[in-house]
Amino acid sequence: MMDRKRTPRILAAVCAMWAIAGTTVQAAPPEFEIEIRNHLFEPDELTIPANTKVKLIVINRDPTPEEFESFELNREKVIMGGSKAIIFIGPLPPGEYPFFGEFNPDTALGKIIVSDADAR
Amino acid sequence: MLVNSVIIVLREVLEAALMIGILLAVARHVPTGRRWLLVATVLALGGAAAYARNLATVSATFGGVGQELLNAALHLGVFAALVVVVFHIARRHGDVGERSRVLPAAMAVAVALAVAQEGSEVFIYVSGFLQVEEFASGVTLGSIAGAGIGFSVGVLFYYALVSQPEGRARWIAVILLAFAAANMCIQATNLLIQADWLPSAAALWDSSTLLAEDTLLGQLLYALVGYEATPSALEAGMYGTGFALILLAAVAGWQLFPVDGAEA
Repeated sequence: MMDRKRTPRILAAVCAMWAIAGTTVQAAPPEFEIEIRNHLFEPDELTIPANTKVKLIVINRDPTPEEFESFELNREKVIMGGSKAIIFIGPLPPGEYPFFGEFNPDTALGKIIVSDADAR
Repeated sequence: MLVNSVIIVLREVLEAALMIGILLAVARHVPTGRRWLLVATVLALGGAAAYARNLATVSATFGGVGQELLNAALHLGVFAALVVVVFHIARRHGDVGERSRVLPAAMAVAVALAVAQEGSEVFIYVSGFLQVEEFASGVTLGSIAGAGIGFSVGVLFYYALVSQPEGRARWIAVILLAFAAANMCIQATNLLIQADWLPSAAALWDSSTLLAEDTLLGQLLYALVGYEATPSALEAGMYGTGFALILLAAVAGWQLFPVDGAEA
């Protein structure tokens, strides 16, 4: 009898620990920064770890607005001149994901490289 | 700058122009008066300007994802308004408009919210680059051309619908609005994922080699039916749910309002 009661408790405890572990991982996604200067992305290539959610901070140093956009990442966000934007991306499988500045699509080009190797 | 401006403004305008074209065609077949369009235009332009002016402030709220949340809310607002619109379009008697003020009001809300969101981006783009002297003329001409092409496509849809017999026009409108509404759902879902308010997941499929989103057809389908080359299960599910809810609203309107003596 005791055993039968215990099993769900142990299961519950394991689930709770799992959930706590999950939230702590979720609470602090690694952060990466990209700047926009003279309608160019700096850096224009950013390597992020595979299968990990990351917090991308895009700082627009230009006085003009920009729109961060990527069809491959399904992301789109207007960033006013002199302000910054937070965009969550991933978890993603390894590969290359181009992005561009919609308001300056000739110059503002870049890509996110998602790498299996522990990137930093 | 000129060509870029055409594309940017066209992309923003197209989605709203298609919806306005469809709703105006509906208004030809189902009497709704004209006032709703005026009200919607005033609200939309005011809303777009106010949103554009305050975008930096909005963006900074909710831990930097205020822009995503507000846009998602606007998309869901358009969706809700379209549910009401379709419910009333599907009603069988001919005098929906005279009996109900709800239909024109819902049309006004749908147009106002859709245009306010898309319009704010155009507003930000145009006002941002008009100040740069070397870009000013290109941006002006390009924006006018882009908006012109976008609204022309809307006009094309309007005439294509108006030329149909009334019964058929209504049902085509319902189907087109179901796609537009599902589009709102998938975009809202995507924005909430971007804001990390909904979990992100691997893409369910990848049809980008078949039809890339950055092609002309891809863009047109994106605006018309919410085409997404790499949707996650959640996005696809929300799209299907949105589409189904619109069809449900149509059936409900059809069933709940039988016509006395008229052909069913």
